[in-house]
Amino acid sequence: MISSARDRVFREAGGRIIAALVSRFRELALAEDSFSEACARALEVWPATEVPRDPAAWLYKVALRAGFDALRRRQTHARFALRSHEGATTDDDTEAFDALVIPDERLRLIFICCHPAVGIESRAALALRLVCGLPTREIARAFLIPETTLEQRLVRAKRKIAEAGVPFEVPAVIDWPDRLDAVLSTLEVAYTKSHEDAAGTGPHAAYALEVLELSRTLAQLLPTEPEVLALAALIHFAESRRPARLDGNGEMIPIADQDPLRWHRPLIGEAAAFLARVPKREQDQPRVMQARLQAIWCARRSLQEPPPWPEVLAVYDSLLKTRDDAVVRLNRLVALAEVSGIAAATAEFEAVDGRALGDFAPHHAVRADLLRRAGRVEEAQKAYGAVIALVSTSAERRWLIRRANELSGAARSPISPGPA
Amino acid sequence: MKYALFIYEDESLYGPGKNGPAIQQIVAKHMAFNRELGAARLGGAGLTGTSSATTVRTARGQQAVHDGPFAEAKEQLGGFYLIEAPDLDAAISIAKKVPVLQDGSIEIRPLLGP
Repeated sequence: MISSARDRVFREAGGRIIAALVSRFRELALAEDSFSEACARALEVWPATEVPRDPAAWLYKVALRAGFDALRRRQTHARFALRSHEGATTDDDTEAFDALVIPDERLRLIFICCHPAVGIESRAALALRLVCGLPTREIARAFLIPETTLEQRLVRAKRKIAEAGVPFEVPAVIDWPDRLDAVLSTLEVAYTKSHEDAAGTGPHAAYALEVLELSRTLAQLLPTEPEVLALAALIHFAESRRPARLDGNGEMIPIADQDPLRWHRPLIGEAAAFLARVPKREQDQPRVMQARLQAIWCARRSLQEPPPWPEVLAVYDSLLKTRDDAVVRLNRLVALAEVSGIAAATAEFEAVDGRALGDFAPHHAVRADLLRRAGRVEEAQKAYGAVIALVSTSAERRWLIRRANELSGAARSPISPGPA
Repeated sequence: MKYALFIYEDESLYGPGKNGPAIQQIVAKHMAFNRELGAARLGGAGLTGTSSATTVRTARGQQAVHDGPFAEAKEQLGGFYLIEAPDLDAAISIAKKVPVLQDGSIEIRPLLGP
């Protein structure tokens, strides 16, 4: 069990140590390598039964020295001065530095990893690797790509950051909105990936917790940014429902049918606290409204309470004014069907030009559901066929297939679940 | 750091010989932008249209001369700047101010070497 104690230390302290090393060395790869070297040293020298009293400080100190050694080797070998790091490469300096206090440089590191000049999926991977200390194996599993592909992506991202001159500072006021948006959209992409597969027991569950942790860290580091608070709230709300998202057969349970008693109350409490800190004047920001939608659902205490469709519809109505995209429109139609009836929702659905949405699964899913409830069986079956062909997560497929098969009643030619 | 900013626009907006009223308009904007850049500007130029481009292509040791630009695209390279900027964020802020007539893209590339 000692190895897991060490691993836990490496993981928990890793983000802060790497962040501090990055601001010291101004180079991601060197910071990462130095930290790995310190971990390897720890495995050699830490006694087999315990870890040092302050393992993080130990690791930081060893990593600093390893980094300075590497810099010195580079200078001697290549005989060129390092542009980004001058004059601070003596052992004395390392010793003098108070390694017991690891400065919290994570915010800076988050902004570096999530620079808009880095591809969005690489940003997420890089932040999970460096800030959360998630092993590449786990990130690769969450992204459903081979580990070597992920490693190449990380190498490319680090090289881009170094070569393009991404600043190693927290962005200036003038760049702040763009840069913060890049950070938040990175977290959104990362969380969506982990949330896609409702299964909740596989690698995705751990991965989702890392993204949750990252959103919490960001909210601690930027406690007055409304969109940061809103995103932290949204992720905490969404994650609180994970225990209720699947039934015993591994089939997706739609939000209105989930048993609120199975939702994770402490996470809901944390989420609500984040949301409560968003000032009133910021209530109409799209990310704040998305979090409010989650809050409305999570306020439901039991299945006996009616689902909050009218409130949900009201938020979608205002969300549509600032963020008019297909996802918002479709979700609003789902609520509209519940509040104003199938006919009203169908009329609005048909007014939307669906040609551009041919491959967009939610478009077909909403259509299938409206047709099914309107009793237009044959059209509904076709629509279910279209959405099932587009959906890849097993829980949602199972649910859709059951719905489609119920439609055919006699189940003359049931759609088989196939490989899921 | 030194960066090159490559300006891509639909050159047809400027007319066949790049001498219509649109070019007057954009040149005036570039002059103003140049003044704003001051010492950060290391160089740059506008280019004639791709109809005047000639490409020398080397493939498998053979060289051939072709009429036209290296690649056909909706937006063409129409000019470039060389600038000095402390980092990518600074280069991005400068790139955002490069004038374009309507739609366009500015590609930011650090120069190789120190």
